[in-house]
Amino acid sequence: MRAFAVGGTAALLSVGLFLALWGSPPDAYQGEYVRIMYVHVPAAVSAYGAAAVAFGAGALYLWRRDRRWDFVGRAGAELAALFSGLTLLTGMLWGKPVWGVWWAWDARLVTTAVLFLLYVGCLLVRDLADDPERGRRLSAAVAVLAFLDVPVVHYSVVWFRTLHQGPSISLQGVKLAPEFLLPLAVNAVAYLALLSVLLAERARLASLEGER
Amino acid sequence: MKAWRRVAAVARKDLLLEWRGRDAVLPAGSFGFAVLLVLGLVSGGGGEAAPSALWVSVLLAAVLAAGRGADREGEEGTREVLLLYPGSREDLFWGRWLALCVVLLVLAAGLWCAQVLLFDAPTRGAGVLILAALLATAGLGAAGTLLAALVAHVRAGPLLMPLLFLPATVPVLLAGVRLSETAASGAPAGPWWGVLVVFDLLFLLVGPVLFELVVEG
Amino acid sequence: MRPLDPVVTDALGRRFGAVVALRGVGLRVGEGTCLLLLGPNGSGKTTLLRVLATALRPTEGRAWVCGYDVVSEGHRVRELCAFLGTSPGVYAGLTGFENLCLAADLCGRPRRQVAELLGWAGLEQVAHRLVRTYSLGMRRRLALARVRLQEPRVLLLDEPFVGLDEEGTRLVGELVTGIKKQKGAVVLATHDRHRARAVCDAVAELESGTLLSSGTAGLAGAVSRG
Repeated sequence: MRAFAVGGTAALLSVGLFLALWGSPPDAYQGEYVRIMYVHVPAAVSAYGAAAVAFGAGALYLWRRDRRWDFVGRAGAELAALFSGLTLLTGMLWGKPVWGVWWAWDARLVTTAVLFLLYVGCLLVRDLADDPERGRRLSAAVAVLAFLDVPVVHYSVVWFRTLHQGPSISLQGVKLAPEFLLPLAVNAVAYLALLSVLLAERARLASLEGER
Repeated sequence: MKAWRRVAAVARKDLLLEWRGRDAVLPAGSFGFAVLLVLGLVSGGGGEAAPSALWVSVLLAAVLAAGRGADREGEEGTREVLLLYPGSREDLFWGRWLALCVVLLVLAAGLWCAQVLLFDAPTRGAGVLILAALLATAGLGAAGTLLAALVAHVRAGPLLMPLLFLPATVPVLLAGVRLSETAASGAPAGPWWGVLVVFDLLFLLVGPVLFELVVEG
Repeated sequence: MRPLDPVVTDALGRRFGAVVALRGVGLRVGEGTCLLLLGPNGSGKTTLLRVLATALRPTEGRAWVCGYDVVSEGHRVRELCAFLGTSPGVYAGLTGFENLCLAADLCGRPRRQVAELLGWAGLEQVAHRLVRTYSLGMRRRLALARVRLQEPRVLLLDEPFVGLDEEGTRLVGELVTGIKKQKGAVVLATHDRHRARAVCDAVAELESGTLLSSGTAGLAGAVSRG
């Protein structure tokens, strides 16, 4: 089962990579840089997926105090930090050639940065707590809080930017043609599969560490 | 056991200690003033920068003020004593929240005065500003009370406090800035009252629940 | 089935990460009994008291105070049990009177008891002075008054004699005797066997987190190893 999941994910990622590099035409405006999107968007989707897992597992851990939920929550928080970091990085690599700037005060970018910071805090709280049991509880609490807070942050940033000076660059304006949509969809599925495999492996590792 | 008596007792205790020591208002207020000064200096001190400078300084001062209440319990070894009294621990949250809200309102009022003087900011729309300060304080107080309790048992807790507090309270910062601007210009407030209310609801509902889970031994 | 005795533990354990502070402790303290908890530094005395006081969750086993589980019914345990730790836990920025008023408000006792308790603790002269000006012994007396205000059925004392003079020691004795008369129970951890002997009826010895022995004999000096 495990080998199948890992093999299937690897296959999906290879297909995704192939489609992204050779299966997709260059974009009329963005040229070859559009290929970064095939990493950027799936990474963002995975970051939010991981945050949702950390939220659910954190809430369940706080409720049931079953360590297995903590293993999942820990994996979720780490992957949320990882994928949101990756999203920020690829967003910058894409933004520089396409928008001409490394960073734009786009709501999605700022929200992802907030997500990244909160989950870094979540991991730090776990490691620096004076007792491992308390660390589990505190990081679960931060994971729950972060997940509920991030939508409020997102909309406040959207309104802050749009209601004042008009959006300079909006991703919503980009209508995706089918030849871009297919590689994007395949990559999104591949990244979610990767997220699931990493979650399972990280949780398993955490449980092995926990039993020591 | 009456909850309000417990809430009032905790709030009265915090405020009495604050009144005698002024160990949250003075350091946090001076720090906020320093932030205002620095922001004014680099932005040229124009009136259009005033709302941003005001709310950034309020938020940063709130980080210090919120941490102070929890530190006090740690210094005296009283945190555990408080927790081991019979009755719901939510009462402790609300007591601490109430006291922190009073401190934050004092800070906000002081920093607003400083901002008017330093930035030559317009003083119109006082009603809007007071309402915004009250709503912002309720949410910041809840977030501060919860996060201060959360980092109390964490090494380098005071350093982690801003890392968690500032990203989480971005909505208050943005809403505060826009409401200050609209108060001065008389423009419609848009969705900002809603943002403040949603933020308050979130932290006032989730805060006490998570607080109870965070403080238990 | 709820245990009837005021304090019961079953295979109780507590770990702090890799460190085992308490392991397989099975203890029973009957009504009207004061148990003296002995053991070298780091043997788990404070951890045991903190678990019973619901300040710390056990990682293994169970414990009951007056029949209530310390984990799932912690709020009931806190209504019946008082814990006095090694730090007096009073606010230096408040007066003695204000400290006790706070305690009265928090545990729902009438405030009129406060003046009487300050008298009991011998602090009426300094009642309206800030606790910052108190000596360690005076702070400990104030903490004793606070514990008495709570009127607990089960009292947990961690090194109660530290910093106390003879009069203060007598107050501890009075507190313990009062609870024993009410058919409550006291668990008292100390290294001061001499002063503890006067009030304790049973003894238990901990070493490296495990219970070596418990019983009523051996209070005269050496500890029974039955």
